[in-house]
Amino acid sequence: MRWSRVQAVARKEMLELRRDPVLLRVILVLPVAMLLLFGYAVNFNLKQIPTAIWDRANDRISQALVRELEKDGKFDVVYRVSGEGKLKRLIDRQQARVGLVLPPRMLERVRAGKGVKLTALIDGSDPTFAFQAQAGLQKAVGRLNARLITARMLACEAQPPPLTLAPKLLYNPEGNTAAFMVPGIIGIIITQIAVILTGLAIVREKETRMLESLIATPVRPGELVIGKVMPYLIIAFVDTLLVLWIGHVVFSVPLRGSRWLLLALVFLFVLGSLAIGIVISARSRTQVQAIFGTLVYYLPSIFLSGLFFPIEGMPRALQLATYLIPLRYFLEAARGIMLRGVGLETLLKPFILLAIFSALALLLAILSFRKRLL
Amino acid sequence: MKAVEKVRAERLERRFGCVLAVAGVSFEVYEGEVFGLVGPNGAGKTTLVRMLSGVLSPSQGDAIVSGISVKQRPEFVKERIGYATQEASVYPFLTVRENLEFRAAMYLYGAAVGRAVAVALARFGLEEVAGRRAGVLSGGWRQRLSIAQAVVHQPQVAFLDEPTTGLDPLARRTVWDLVYAEAERGMSAVVTTHYMDEAERCHRVGLFYRGRLIALGTPQELKEALRRRYHFFRVPGSDAEVWRARAGVVDAWQRGGATRIVLETNAPVPTGAIEEEATMEDVFILKIREENAHALV
Repeated sequence: MRWSRVQAVARKEMLELRRDPVLLRVILVLPVAMLLLFGYAVNFNLKQIPTAIWDRANDRISQALVRELEKDGKFDVVYRVSGEGKLKRLIDRQQARVGLVLPPRMLERVRAGKGVKLTALIDGSDPTFAFQAQAGLQKAVGRLNARLITARMLACEAQPPPLTLAPKLLYNPEGNTAAFMVPGIIGIIITQIAVILTGLAIVREKETRMLESLIATPVRPGELVIGKVMPYLIIAFVDTLLVLWIGHVVFSVPLRGSRWLLLALVFLFVLGSLAIGIVISARSRTQVQAIFGTLVYYLPSIFLSGLFFPIEGMPRALQLATYLIPLRYFLEAARGIMLRGVGLETLLKPFILLAIFSALALLLAILSFRKRLL
Repeated sequence: MKAVEKVRAERLERRFGCVLAVAGVSFEVYEGEVFGLVGPNGAGKTTLVRMLSGVLSPSQGDAIVSGISVKQRPEFVKERIGYATQEASVYPFLTVRENLEFRAAMYLYGAAVGRAVAVALARFGLEEVAGRRAGVLSGGWRQRLSIAQAVVHQPQVAFLDEPTTGLDPLARRTVWDLVYAEAERGMSAVVTTHYMDEAERCHRVGLFYRGRLIALGTPQELKEALRRRYHFFRVPGSDAEVWRARAGVVDAWQRGGATRIVLETNAPVPTGAIEEEATMEDVFILKIREENAHALV
């Protein structure tokens, strides 16, 4: 082995990298972005869990419990309702993820030394979240119990814990992780197929100058874009159905809501993702650039969509950033349809936002794809 | 009978930032004519062809192709032309037939696609490889397919950008025969090349240099014009350097064991020198030399 030849090859590679501005930017930005995303997004300590309360007691004990819940910032009591049905609806809509039923005459019962059973409705679609929320509730109740016992012990003899928690996991009572993950896997597959494959498909034609030959034909930009993305639309649909079927047969993942609504959702998300793929490829000169370009889109989608890491655990700034991630809306709606069995009336917001994303992405795709070279 | 004009470039100009790639070029191409755009690499030939085919918009000027302005209605121009890029633009995973079908479908629909493909396969001798993937074809066959694709819809004008680059002489000859066969059927072809022997094959040639057309005419006309100003001789020996230093010698270069010299018309003819014909290579080199001399002034 001659070291000078190795050096010459390495130098050439470095020069090529340095002179590819897009690649250079990605190489420098990607690790920093990854580190920040990992550092901030990967946080399983949930904060500000939106919580709804049906306070039937409305006495000092129930008020003390609410204060305990909000004390360490884990829970944020955003709704006070009357009726368990309303609590459930709020959780269905994901406006609240925990619902607490505080029974009547809590103070009276505690004073009488009778136990008080608190019913907690917890969104169980994400087993990790459910476990953490449950632990948080237990901790808050435990703290209040300790205070009550201390207070009562000063006055009289020891008592068993006055408050007990009866958690009820909604949607996924067995804590089936697959049930939570399958909608996410569909989201990943769609993102991969739509963004990465479409991105590569067009830039490959550009690299081999096939695109120039096509541009010289009467084919319209719209025809070219639609023709290009159609196969990937079909592939994404077939893959989605395959994942749904395997998820159902092998992992017992339910599909409680409308399958047509789910397919409509998939269509909307695929369309937007395909358009993003076209935008990336239209702005890339080489396939390597396109791959890195798709990573720049793909990685934040994975980290910030709530797919693996709960959004409630992220800092406020990142939580706001998640609103820019279309996968977030897809997951919200897909989990709603599949696990919670809710319909369009409940999922209107993620559907509308996804439709806006797809429309904007398509517009951007058509604007990016100019049929003349310059 | 007056020849029908198929391409008319009118002071066509293209800038890329502050770089002037094509500087006010005007010429015409007639029906059934094979027009060669000859020039060194980087002269602006491809840019010119891209403008003529509606792929690139001109910065100034216009071109009328098949009666339509490329500046105002490039999409209509595209329906009437065929275009083959510098590298053979074929889809490697598609068969020859599939490649042709795809391209034909850009212009035609229904049964017309199949008919056009059948005609193209026959005319270009591609029937024997119709079922083979384009990726496994040799360079010659691939280029043949590339041109067949460009003319599968039988356009009025075809723009072929360096269709023979990288091909062996036999394959090059085949390509030219195919181009001429199409021209016989009435198609006009604008072919770019930097091979001087290929320039000889064209009906007319435009010599392109630094974005400008520096000579225009039939190969014969261009050579005769050159012969009125220079004489070409072959002298024994291989001392081109010595010859170049002599008065009256415009240029000299080695060719085999002899030296070819270019003399001004009034220069004395060296003893033992054998007069030779002017070639397109002479036209190319001497025209460019003159251009450079003017540029220095």
